Amino acid sequence: MKIHIPENKKISPFLVLFLIHANQIGVGVLGFQRPISKEAGYDGWISILIIAVAIHIIMWLILKMCSTVDGDIMSVHEFVFGKWISKILGIFVILYLCLTIVAILRSYIEIIQVWMFPSLQTFWFSLVFFILILYLVTGGFRVITGAAFFSVIIPVYILFIFLLVLPYADFTNLLPIFDHSFTDLLKGAYTMTYAFAGFEAILFFYPFIKEPIKAKKWAHMGLLLTVAIHLYLALIAFAYFPREQLQKNIWPTITMWKIVQMPFVERFEYIGIANWCLIILPNICIPLWASGRIAKQIFGIRQKTSVAVLALFCLAAVSLFSTRTSIQKYVSFAGTAGFYFNFVYVPILFIAVLIARRVKKNGPSS
Amino acid sequence: MVRLPKILTLFMFSAALSGCVEKSILDDIVLVNGLGFDYCDGVNIQATVVYPDYLPDQPPKDKTFTGRARMKKTVLQDISRQTTDPVVTGSINTVVFGRELAEKQGILDLVDSFHRDPRVGSTIFLGVIDGTAKEFLKGKYGIRSTGEHVAKIIEHNIKHEDLPRTNMQRFFSDYYQTGKTPFMPLLRKTEAGNVELTGISFFKYGKIADSIPAEKMFFFKLLSDKYSEGLHSVKTKEGEASVRDIRSSHNFSLLQQNPLKIRVKIKVNGIIDEFNGEELNPSTVKSVEKEFEKIIYEECMELISRFQEKEIDPIGFGQFAKTQIRNFDMENWLSTLYKDLSVDIKPKVTITETGVIE
Amino acid sequence: MKKLFWRRKKKNNDNRDKRLEDLLQKSKDFRSVSYKNPKTQISFTLSFIETLVDEKILHESALPKLLEEKFHRIEEVKDILPLSEVEITNDKDQIEQKLLNGSVLLTIDGDKETYCIFSAQKEIVRNVTLPEVEFSVLGPKEAFVESLKHNLNLIRRRLPMKELITEKLTVGNLSQTCVAILYIEGIVDMENVNTVRQRIKEIEFDEISDNSYILQMISDNSHSLFPQLLDSERPDRVAATLTEGKVAILVDGSPHALIAPTTLVECFSSFEDYLLNWTMASFIRLIRLFAISFSVLATPLYVATISYHYELIPEDLLGTLVASRGAIPFPPILEALFLELTIELLREAGARLPTKVGQTIGIVGGIVIGTASVEAGLTSNVLLIIIALAALASFTTPVYRIGNTIRLIRFPILIFAELWGLLGIFICLCFLMAHLLRLTSLGRPYLEPLYPPRQYDLRDSILRLPFTALYRRPQYLRPKRPMRFNERDLKKKKDIDE
Repeated sequence: MKIHIPENKKISPFLVLFLIHANQIGVGVLGFQRPISKEAGYDGWISILIIAVAIHIIMWLILKMCSTVDGDIMSVHEFVFGKWISKILGIFVILYLCLTIVAILRSYIEIIQVWMFPSLQTFWFSLVFFILILYLVTGGFRVITGAAFFSVIIPVYILFIFLLVLPYADFTNLLPIFDHSFTDLLKGAYTMTYAFAGFEAILFFYPFIKEPIKAKKWAHMGLLLTVAIHLYLALIAFAYFPREQLQKNIWPTITMWKIVQMPFVERFEYIGIANWCLIILPNICIPLWASGRIAKQIFGIRQKTSVAVLALFCLAAVSLFSTRTSIQKYVSFAGTAGFYFNFVYVPILFIAVLIARRVKKNGPSS
Repeated sequence: MVRLPKILTLFMFSAALSGCVEKSILDDIVLVNGLGFDYCDGVNIQATVVYPDYLPDQPPKDKTFTGRARMKKTVLQDISRQTTDPVVTGSINTVVFGRELAEKQGILDLVDSFHRDPRVGSTIFLGVIDGTAKEFLKGKYGIRSTGEHVAKIIEHNIKHEDLPRTNMQRFFSDYYQTGKTPFMPLLRKTEAGNVELTGISFFKYGKIADSIPAEKMFFFKLLSDKYSEGLHSVKTKEGEASVRDIRSSHNFSLLQQNPLKIRVKIKVNGIIDEFNGEELNPSTVKSVEKEFEKIIYEECMELISRFQEKEIDPIGFGQFAKTQIRNFDMENWLSTLYKDLSVDIKPKVTITETGVIE
Repeated sequence: MKKLFWRRKKKNNDNRDKRLEDLLQKSKDFRSVSYKNPKTQISFTLSFIETLVDEKILHESALPKLLEEKFHRIEEVKDILPLSEVEITNDKDQIEQKLLNGSVLLTIDGDKETYCIFSAQKEIVRNVTLPEVEFSVLGPKEAFVESLKHNLNLIRRRLPMKELITEKLTVGNLSQTCVAILYIEGIVDMENVNTVRQRIKEIEFDEISDNSYILQMISDNSHSLFPQLLDSERPDRVAATLTEGKVAILVDGSPHALIAPTTLVECFSSFEDYLLNWTMASFIRLIRLFAISFSVLATPLYVATISYHYELIPEDLLGTLVASRGAIPFPPILEALFLELTIELLREAGARLPTKVGQTIGIVGGIVIGTASVEAGLTSNVLLIIIALAALASFTTPVYRIGNTIRLIRFPILIFAELWGLLGIFICLCFLMAHLLRLTSLGRPYLEPLYPPRQYDLRDSILRLPFTALYRRPQYLRPKRPMRFNERDLKKKKDIDE
């Protein structure tokens, strides 16, 4: 199943950095500090470093896998399992991607409803948002990459806004270091898997990279950038909030904005939250595009149709949730699914690829 | 040609959507900027809101409303029945508590609602009123609206005078910080009808445990704020000098455990603003420095022993100990360990300039 | 359609000559005059359209020679006429076209098959004047005129090189407008030239009266508000862009040239930026960028904050805003739309009226309507200031078309701001971003060098770095010779006192 992709539809290797990074940074970054400190206390930053090493390893596995079969996840599946099983697995992958789309969009809408507009109707907002997404996705992968690029570049200013929090920060909160057991740190690292999920996107767009070998470096750089931003936000939040107060805040990152006062803007969080719609744009575009592409490969339909159908499906699913508890349950389910996909399924697939390669090498010779 | 209907549908949807989010148009809401709570009967609380009625080309006219209920939001509802427009909380600058309420009933439940409300900023000022909040908010001070006026007074005293930095976030940060207790500025309405900052009230479990007068605030600021400014007068045998603290810093170090001993080094860089002696020569400057160091030592020691006695820790010795000692016993901190703490103050005063004349 | 028509013409070729003459006889300005050469006694007829022919050429150059010199056959006429364009032909199509372009047809009695046709075209062209749309304080002060010949002359003079190629095409089924494609061979990417040529050839329209027709017809996305080709009235700018490796399209009868491909960034740069010192130019570009974003966002932000986000307003400003809004009976969106429409009205009225009246209308209308509506309590004075500034800021765009775009795109943003406040503004900006990402100019990404990010092209985009830093031609044009000059040839920096 080798699909030829025209050269002018491919992207430069260094843009992989933005794709990976943009797909990772989403809604999770607004509230990851609470769960991590619940498990690992203010040694949570060590947990971030632990998970950072883990995702680098997984990324290496993914890249190795993709370069072995020189294709995306469907090629990997076909390489290992053959045509029919790969189609069934493909459906599961589509479901997983839709799961993440719904989780991200619904949690973002929840944030808007809590912080800005309690009366915002989920359906109407998601409808407009999906029209925007479809407009982007039908533009093709280069346009999606562009959205990812701008969603990284434009909000850079927000990182500097956090510096205004520093007068309120007390970094002695972090002391004493290593106050927690290694299991606590691992548990903290586990909570981070949701915030860091999204790097697996390279499994889907690997064939669209111009020189995949060169892109490896950039993929890892993208991960590093994500880790750095999370570390930065974690440290600032740990210094800003005493531990008990952090436990009370569901979205510590947004709460920190409340302290920011500028001469022309009294409160920053409204700007920040509104700006966040740009940041979650690639989080939804990339999975939707990927699932549409996989559906095209499985069912042989046009990607325009498959993307539209999947968007409708996700739109219906997003509108289903209405309370905080149901959203939270769903998001944590999506988080678990992400964990199993990235940290269980990908390594298994990698081993399977290794075995399949050996079998295929020995096959013709014997 | 596919795009045109797409855009059209989009606009149709927009039209259908209009008004689906609740609006709060600036001139159709009651922009509360001051809120006060008073003791009522032990169960209910009495709340007073003050909001400005902005008029073109004139200073705003303040209006106050009072209501009674068990929770903040229900009080606001109670007040909404008396106003023409919905009452919103996003523009609150100042929240004050009557002293009686803060002493008898505690303020935690009230403050919690501000913490939960996403509309309320973190930079609002909290304060305790010597008297009732209702009387205080009803006063007419200056050209600004009352809430804003009080906020400006607190802000300016933090920036230029002896009040340690405080606002809602710092209050909560101190409250939730293990090994630290929060404080609020103490204000009152003078007979002349002005607002006066009279000192600082210290809280323990949401209730006032102690208050210090304005004269001691300088020393509390030296101990609690990392960098501070302020003014204090020093009497020496050559004459009296008032020293303006340009930049000071403090540094804690742990000397020993069991019993705890902490050394606090205080560095003050100051200039002499005023001197009523004969001549300000290097030796007089030296003696001013020495005398100031002595005052700082005595006053700070007195403050600390006062805090130990009342079992409050606004300076955060407990927090400091926790960062230094692994598995520090936080449970017994305020009740037992804190009392045995000995603190060694090491002040160091440097007069850098003495003005343009000698 | 065109091909069918063409075939029918071929079939009826025989009676065509007749038909042409019949048709021409109907026009009162068609003349056919017969003369007799006194030396050879040969009678000849001159046929021409009076209004197209310069009688001076006819009477002073052509006729005296034809009457005084000896000639027997039509081929000899070519030698006696002192004109550059004299042709002997029997191609009826060519004759028809030339005749309608102002040539004179000469026939000798007895020879019905061959014709001599010489050009005596009368050209009514205004003088080269100051550029009006792209005025600059510094630099050359000449602008294109309506004649293709003159315009080509203006460009050729600036680029005296054999590699400057001028291709000519004819478009418009009725108007037969001459279109020239200009490029510098060896620099330009021929793919761009081929795309332009292909698209122009495919144009199906009866009359092409201006380059704007061509612009709209060959744009990648003709529905988009954003101009995907740049038009310029400055020969200096066109010449400069040609050397970058772009393609210029000149249309006969249009005082503007089209430059392709272009980018969004280029729409915000004026040619004067290159005439100023680079720090000054960069500063001006930044100011322009700020002005444009202010112009687009100011009113929506006002509506969003007043309607939804009162928390954002600094407390010192709160009183001013509430007091100014106090007596207004309309919601902020209506107030804003009312003022925006007033400004649009003033602009449109100013543009349609003669210059002097237009200016007066602009000033009087602006001041009178503004003050009156504030005094009547229909709009707040704060909004009036914002809208006036926004309108002023939108005039900073150096390209007229993008100025129009900015006029329009603030309205959807305004509606979204009314819908969802700041969130709506950001959603709308995301739509804008998506649209711009999808746009291409001759297949090249429109947002370049912002996306795809190209480091070298960024040097001449938001800022303009000094010429020494611009040693590469813009990369998105894929020029065949990417370097303007070798940057290593620049002199090495000298040390102190050397």
